[in-house]
Amino acid sequence: MATYRPPGEQSNSPYIDPTPLPSSVPRVNELGVTSAPLKSAAFFIGAYCKEYNEDFMLCKQENRNPAHCLKEGRRVTRCATDLIEKMRANCAEQFEKHWQCLELNNQEYYPCRKPERVLNKCMFDKLGLTKTIPGSPAGQKQVHEVEKPIFTGVQK
Amino acid sequence: MPVPWEALIPFALVTTMFGVTGTAFSITKRAQNDGKPPRYGIDTWDEMMMDRDKRLTGSARGQSSNPVAPESFATNSAWYTEKSQ
Repeated sequence: MATYRPPGEQSNSPYIDPTPLPSSVPRVNELGVTSAPLKSAAFFIGAYCKEYNEDFMLCKQENRNPAHCLKEGRRVTRCATDLIEKMRANCAEQFEKHWQCLELNNQEYYPCRKPERVLNKCMFDKLGLTKTIPGSPAGQKQVHEVEKPIFTGVQK
Repeated sequence: MPVPWEALIPFALVTTMFGVTGTAFSITKRAQNDGKPPRYGIDTWDEMMMDRDKRLTGSARGQSSNPVAPESFATNSAWYTEKSQ
């Protein structure tokens, strides 16, 4: 029968990949940030690592084979790791507050505008990065800068 | 005339029953989600990210802002050796 059975589920010991990368590929430590802090830092990663991310995406567009874009991928990982380390060095408390607020709200931005404003201010003062949403309409304020939004959380 | 307080007993009963079951439900849901409200409206992206969180921290709702991943993260992805049986 053709059913989907995830490989890690059938044994009692943790799953270890039997085919790791060869040692000819330079080793870069993977990003250890989970989804909520990553979502909090997302627009800053977009501002800080723009060239490396665009390089990687264009490379992937040429050829989807994983082996083709390993170098650009390493650069993306290094840039993101660099930014997360800078964020933790400069704005650790505001960063923590924002992503913990996101975790309590289904990882959606709209209920957490207050910690987000504090974080954006700290990031702009210390690191010079602003959050801009690509593709937002030209004449209007960005949705995270609107003072009296229509859609807010029900409590507080 | 005395107040007909017996007529309010059903209201109190129903309120209590809703309150108890609602609280018990909320507690079980939070216990399953590491003390946080459950995630809803999960799409494939969120499933993928929660699977990644599970590989990084051991629990689908566990979070960490460590810039460097633990050693086991490089080799605990089952995706490359998946096959349907």
